[in-house]
Amino acid sequence: MGNTLRISSTIHCDVLIVGAGGAGLRCAAEIFEKKPGTRIMALTKVSHPQKSHTVTAQGGMAAVDPRDPIDKPIYHMFDTWKGSDCTADQNIIKKIVDASWDQIAWLENHGMHLSRDENGGLSKRAFGGMTLNFGESSAPRAVFEADRTGKGIMDTVWGEAMKGGISFLNQSIATELLFNGDRCIGALVFKEKEGEFVAILSKATVFATGGNGQVFRITTNCRQNTGDGLALILQEGLPVMDPEAIQFHPTGIVGPGILASETLRTVGGILRNKDMERFMERYAPKMKELAPRDLVSRAIETEIREGRGILNPDHNIQHVWIDLRHLPDYVHDEQIPEVTGFFKKFVNIDPKKELCPVRPSNHYQMAGIPTNEFGEVQKGPQELIPGLFAVGECACASFHGFNRLGSNSILELITMGKFTGERVIEYLGEDPGELPPEAGERTFSQFSRFMEAKAKDTLGGIREAMQAIMTEKVSVFRIENGLIETIEALKELKDRTDKASLSSRSYAMNQELIQRWELDNLLAISMVMTQAALRRKESRGGHFREDFPERKDEFNHHTLAFMTEYGKVSFGKRAVDMSLFEAEGEHYEKFGMIERKY
Amino acid sequence: MSQLYRITLKVKRFDPDTKRTWVQDYELEAGRILRFTDVFRKINNELDPTLAWNSSCEHAQCGSCAVKVNGKPLLACELLVENAIKDFGSTTFRVEPLTIAPVVRDLVVDFDNAYERVNKAKPYIINPSPRVAGESEYRISPRELEWYVEATRCINCFCCAEACISSHRNFLGPNAVMASIVRLMDPREQAREERLELLYSEQGVYRCHTSMACSFVCPKEIDVAHFIALAKADRFRA
Repeated sequence: MGNTLRISSTIHCDVLIVGAGGAGLRCAAEIFEKKPGTRIMALTKVSHPQKSHTVTAQGGMAAVDPRDPIDKPIYHMFDTWKGSDCTADQNIIKKIVDASWDQIAWLENHGMHLSRDENGGLSKRAFGGMTLNFGESSAPRAVFEADRTGKGIMDTVWGEAMKGGISFLNQSIATELLFNGDRCIGALVFKEKEGEFVAILSKATVFATGGNGQVFRITTNCRQNTGDGLALILQEGLPVMDPEAIQFHPTGIVGPGILASETLRTVGGILRNKDMERFMERYAPKMKELAPRDLVSRAIETEIREGRGILNPDHNIQHVWIDLRHLPDYVHDEQIPEVTGFFKKFVNIDPKKELCPVRPSNHYQMAGIPTNEFGEVQKGPQELIPGLFAVGECACASFHGFNRLGSNSILELITMGKFTGERVIEYLGEDPGELPPEAGERTFSQFSRFMEAKAKDTLGGIREAMQAIMTEKVSVFRIENGLIETIEALKELKDRTDKASLSSRSYAMNQELIQRWELDNLLAISMVMTQAALRRKESRGGHFREDFPERKDEFNHHTLAFMTEYGKVSFGKRAVDMSLFEAEGEHYEKFGMIERKY
Repeated sequence: MSQLYRITLKVKRFDPDTKRTWVQDYELEAGRILRFTDVFRKINNELDPTLAWNSSCEHAQCGSCAVKVNGKPLLACELLVENAIKDFGSTTFRVEPLTIAPVVRDLVVDFDNAYERVNKAKPYIINPSPRVAGESEYRISPRELEWYVEATRCINCFCCAEACISSHRNFLGPNAVMASIVRLMDPREQAREERLELLYSEQGVYRCHTSMACSFVCPKEIDVAHFIALAKADRFRA
């Protein structure tokens, strides 16, 4: 047993990518294109890159076609800025929006099976928040691959990475970063199947570890989205940015939390409580079900809190109904077949005849590892960590600010993936040096604590308790005393976790061991999220404080959160880039601190 | 609405440390719309944290949770308790890992090994066709795309390869072969000869015995056998 806690081999490569989803592999493809023959290794927690969470993205990618006679990039920039509740960085917005169509073309040229219009060009459709002329009318701006756009992206970048000669380490996790002085030179990696540790030394290390949805009980996120990348960054004494900025989708399907698209409401679906009341009439008398995501989420949560929800006994989850029974058959069959298919498949009901159970579901972290426009990780507002990059949902550049617009997330993966790849190439001449002598010490002491803990408890039970309190107190609604209670509860759960014993001492494919490691990560993320939410005494985008329901100018900045020991969180700030506004070009006034009203 | 079923899962287990294989019975109560992945999680939380199983997205879009239930390969995330009871006419279920790749532990198989077949089929554009001068994208009509779009839904869960009567020996397997067929039907691919060579090689489509089990079990409802039949009928030569 003692034998396992050692570095079994040291692997040298040019680039180490931690997380092989859409962003990580778009980055790899870029490096191969510019510098064929680069030795790239990519780790993934899942059993194969094609199983990454990217594949679940349904809708589409926003991008203005330069040949479009009406739509303009400046409108896309405005929608993103407004959607972000004026907290996205304008240099990032401009850079991504300007590059968007070229990156769509890159995907198409490399084999993505995008849906087509009658002329053989790329089909486009409209999403909420996509407008022409600064909010005047709806703009069809998203290209898509049927209802599986994320899968199309994943297949394409996986194929290109494979073609370039990438090496994958599947079902593997990075447990500690390696440094030579200030410079990141790789990571210590645990191979789950073999149960062994390897050190990977690289000239550049790219974090593309995805989201943290498993913090919550009901989430659209996959089982592996446990915020590992962010937790690892915190462990190194580095900051995460805007941890309190989390997006909830109003209509997750009970119980798995699968996303039931906005379309259900746009085609006329009616939300009802247990008394069959159309409750949205009370919250948004004009817009009703078509009100923005956050407003609908809060309305549903209020109904549930005030006892007008319905309990699903199988999953033990409170919900409301979406009523689709009045919609004509052709709407069911032609306009919403995928979503109604989900209800049939996962809830066993027929939406033509029965009410469908939905409730707000955690969806996306705007939060992430702070980076500049090249994906380089920052340790403070300006200072960089040489050799370390972050991209995708785990990174925060920030394109989304405090609220992400539908169809902007997968656009970020492919554009920032490319930009990061370009910058990584500049590091390829630098030798990472030798394996530091202290490499692995922290991980080995962590894993031996896991193995030696003695108390009889259940890790699954602790995880569920954490998810329950985070869902109840740190999701759609947040309030001071609830957040304080949560901080105390998390400390207790952390204590219980540290003492809880594992059922098996094996290292090879020991799922409980991995869950133990994930639980530390989830608890770390939950703590910084809760403390950052407590500190931000205002409401902005996905962060809503019942005790401070308005946005305040004094909080016009990003949060930087550090956690040196569990529960001890300190804060810094990063200014929001307003370069579009400050340039005073055409329409610059649209990029000031505008109101987020729809 | 509310109903609890008392079910028994007879799970085939494997311990890599001792190389022991055994069948373990888990008896538990489960609500009607719990999925088999929820049931596995319930087993971990309430009965046995050591049972290893695989999943990721848990809504039938990644294919990680493929297992055999009463001999049928399927996605555990899609199988609701009440449907399983109805479809199999029993409250006892044999749950086994797929056999297309070595087992790592319990229900977890080595996907690296399984994917080697798909990698051989090169699931990307090997050599892109030239685009029309001055155009940034290819033009593909919806009708042309319709011809093969069904096959692009494949998530490589390997249920078809598991069900296939030929794929356990020399045949590359239905999903791998289909990955290459997609690119033969895709006007953006020029490397047709290389692809045809693989299709008609020793490991190619003539190993298929047309049992059509692939189409029968596909969780994405792809008519895999149809695409293989096109190759057998030599429909892809210029």
